[in-house]
Amino acid sequence: MRRVPLLVTFLSGAAIASLFFIPHHKAQAVNSKLLEWTLVVYAFALILGSLSLWMSHAKKVKKRAEGWPYSMVTLVALLAIPGLGIWKGVGAGSPVGMIYDTVNAPLASSMFALLAFVIASAAFRAFRARSAEATLLLLTAIIMMIGRVSIGELISANLPGITEWLLDVPNLAAKRAIAIGVGLGAVSTALKIILGIERSYLGRS
Amino acid sequence: MLRSAPVDQALETRWFDPARLNVLIGILLFTAFLVVNILRAKANGALYVRPIAGLKALDEAIGRATEMGRPVLYVPGLSDMSEVGTFAAITILYRLAQRVAEMGCEIEVPCYDPVVATVIDGAARDAYSKAGRPDAFRPGCVHYVSAQQFAYVAAVNGFMLRERPAANVYMGSFYAESLLLAETGNTTGAIQIAGTDKVTQLPFFVCACDYTLLGEELFAASAYLGKEPVQLATIIAQDWAKALAAAAIVAALLLGALGHPQLAAWLRIA
Repeated sequence: MRRVPLLVTFLSGAAIASLFFIPHHKAQAVNSKLLEWTLVVYAFALILGSLSLWMSHAKKVKKRAEGWPYSMVTLVALLAIPGLGIWKGVGAGSPVGMIYDTVNAPLASSMFALLAFVIASAAFRAFRARSAEATLLLLTAIIMMIGRVSIGELISANLPGITEWLLDVPNLAAKRAIAIGVGLGAVSTALKIILGIERSYLGRS
Repeated sequence: MLRSAPVDQALETRWFDPARLNVLIGILLFTAFLVVNILRAKANGALYVRPIAGLKALDEAIGRATEMGRPVLYVPGLSDMSEVGTFAAITILYRLAQRVAEMGCEIEVPCYDPVVATVIDGAARDAYSKAGRPDAFRPGCVHYVSAQQFAYVAAVNGFMLRERPAANVYMGSFYAESLLLAETGNTTGAIQIAGTDKVTQLPFFVCACDYTLLGEELFAASAYLGKEPVQLATIIAQDWAKALAAAAIVAALLLGALGHPQLAAWLRIA
């Protein structure tokens, strides 16, 4: 029995990898069907995920752990929103749609907006010239920042060109080198899984 | 130059796309490298793999968490099981959970995707069993949070600020939330180790974390931590493939400069 999941992984992995090379319409129809199956698996996992969320927050409420009222809000929302969705629908103008537009979307935007501040604090730390590499980073960053705004061209007509060169030559070369490594690493991991060399994701060693 | 002619997919009757021959040859060569190195590993035993600072620091991070009596936070990225980065995150977690179980500290794994949460839960339980401490596994330490990017970030950041984990480990595929997570972790004073296959997020982790695994190091991490010869052989196969890719690029550029652009066109680098 231990070999059954490995066999399923091997056959599914080999079949889907082969479908990448087979453009025949029948093969592509099989490919589409297999992708639809993942949605079915996802639906079942969503139930497990919701149970996991419920249990995690219910435990906090029961123990009156720090921040338990927030867990209470999560539990109420977890029951109320699907209930409202089933009762009144989920389209625009429905209560769920309204909650999404007036509560969820502004909260998500606020979190995203925080990125501006954390970029500033991270940049401040990264640009401290503690070593030769950090000093090089600082100088490059200064050139980049000045060269990308209107005043850069007023300081020197060459600055925008230098920033473009920095982006298109050293920066792109490094990015492509990392991307090639990532691509090979991804293929290596996929092969390890298909061939059964890596099995930890199965929950058994 | 081999290229597919645009054909209506419903009428396509070919059983092989010649435009993808280069990919097929690449995969076959890679598989051959893998087989050769696995055979070498089985015959010779130990293989040398250069030390990776970020992975050596994992032990230090777990030790620090144990001494401080605080948990280790493991964030397995914000992708589903279709991303190979998520698989890498799961395999690293497996090794990490074994060390955590051996040292007797706590681990917390908030998940973005319910399928990933289910798979990680199984892997973590097995890791505790393999470490000989199945009873130490705390049900609920791996849990689903939210499949909304910033709701997930709010929950994880909240956990960092309330529980103050001693070590934060971010492995997998990350997007705009990478710096929000890493910077919050930085303010709590936790030791931070990150690794991602998303090139655009690497600078953020480099700025805010103590150690960062760059690109391919994420995929090598599991093999490196496991120290099993067969797993290490896959890293060497990866290096051989990288050398071959570099040689092919240089050869294609030289031939192109000499007026023979066929190789560059076939490799699709022209």
